[in-house]
Amino acid sequence: MSVEAVSSVPIQALYRDHHGWLQDWLRRRLGDAGDAADLAQDAFLRLLVTPRPFEGRGAARAYLRAMGQGLCIDLWRRREIERAWLETLAAQPEAVAPSAEQQASVLQALQEIDAMLARLPTRAATAFVMAVGCQMSDREVAEAIGVSSRMVRKYVAQAMLHCLRLEPPPAGAGHPAAAPRLPAR
Amino acid sequence: MSGLGPTLPAPGLDPSDAALEQAAEWFALLRSGEAAPADQGRWQRWLAAAAEHREAWRRVEAIGLRFGPLQGVADPTPAVEAWRHARRRGGRRSVLLGLVSLAGVGGLIALALQDSAWLQARLARSADHRSALGQVRELRLADGSQAWLATSSALDEDHDAHWRRVRLRAGEVLVRSAADPLRPLVVDTPHGRLRALGTRFTVRLEASADGTPLRSFVAVYEGAVELRPRDADGGLVVPAGRQAYFGGGRLPVLEPTDPAGEAWTRGLLIAQRLPLAEVARQLQRYRGGGLAVAPEVAGLPVFGSYPLTEPDRALAMLASVMPIRVRRAGPERVRIEARP
Repeated sequence: MSVEAVSSVPIQALYRDHHGWLQDWLRRRLGDAGDAADLAQDAFLRLLVTPRPFEGRGAARAYLRAMGQGLCIDLWRRREIERAWLETLAAQPEAVAPSAEQQASVLQALQEIDAMLARLPTRAATAFVMAVGCQMSDREVAEAIGVSSRMVRKYVAQAMLHCLRLEPPPAGAGHPAAAPRLPAR
Repeated sequence: MSGLGPTLPAPGLDPSDAALEQAAEWFALLRSGEAAPADQGRWQRWLAAAAEHREAWRRVEAIGLRFGPLQGVADPTPAVEAWRHARRRGGRRSVLLGLVSLAGVGGLIALALQDSAWLQARLARSADHRSALGQVRELRLADGSQAWLATSSALDEDHDAHWRRVRLRAGEVLVRSAADPLRPLVVDTPHGRLRALGTRFTVRLEASADGTPLRSFVAVYEGAVELRPRDADGGLVVPAGRQAYFGGGRLPVLEPTDPAGEAWTRGLLIAQRLPLAEVARQLQRYRGGGLAVAPEVAGLPVFGSYPLTEPDRALAMLASVMPIRVRRAGPERVRIEARP
């Protein structure tokens, strides 16, 4: 069977065969039916946007399960960031707190940035976010994280290249790294 | 700088990886605060030189734009600190546990109690080989293969005319397989089957606090191992120098092995910039009881060799070289926190 032929499995058929168990599986994992429904929807939306060839039902199932796992981890990370940001805001005096609108857009930016940098070593990710997000010079970042400013420059270039190589260029929630590699037979 | 938005598609132009690399380096230089005036001119000439350079730079800008909301607040530092905090917490969870949700841990990271008394009692009754808490045991399998059991591990052997079959029921085993071309050696875990192709490799079964198997891990040091995860259709060959997690709904991804990953057979934990939380997790496997790490020190990097089989001495060594103290929080419970 050619790749063309298998890739033409319509999304409707995939949805019919796999949506039910995927949503059940996500619900067991997340303990929340609403989250599970959202993520299952999200998984099929991704398949709709970026169709993939599957050699049989087993392959589609394995792929969807790995994608579901990635989406769960993404969701946990987003929640973790939300929690940390709310804690931070709660600890700030009201006078210096950003406006409600700014608070929401900062949260969204942090979640997107985190998704982009999820697979990058922590040190490089930290240097990059400090340098670009706080617009700090290499020297300032170097002092903050205890490395040389030459190293900061390297981290920033490494992180930017990492983001540039994400395929396709990320456009919102989740991170493409969640897409699994199927094992070679 | 042009003001193109992040979602504008690139019409039919995909910059080469070299162009992306150059663009990333230009970005790092130009924003460093250390660029010379002449660098601006060089960058302009680089941009003018090729369409793929301009496209690469457009993508750099698109990524930079994602930081806009942070740059827009009076002081982005608290937001960045919140992100760092979340990344430390969340990263650990997705790495260590991957699947179980950590409900109600409060401010402390609860480490999996793989050595619960319950699990020990269960293993003691039935396994062919097992090791006690804190012990590293060398043993010879019935076919002459050599094996080392890490702390609180249990192994069953089941050989017949066609197979040499070993079942890892808990903990970790390193196998150096004896040659027997007629009877393949396989190691089974709840998450899949590993078939030795003339080899030295380690297998670990990671379990939750109540002993439920979560996922398995294999690292190959010599030869190769064929891995057939139970929850995937295919199999793959893990060559020497590679490791992979399998089971738990995740398809295995090969990563380079940690050269220090075999040191446990000599009773050592060798840390090369290992986060303190991970060091504590490994010591916990040998120590039992409760071992918690305060979040503010969990990410501190640890260097050096520590005696796994004497975890309390290892903790004392850590406290003498790091800004931490080890506080008794109960009969078997200790807590690592920042030194006041």
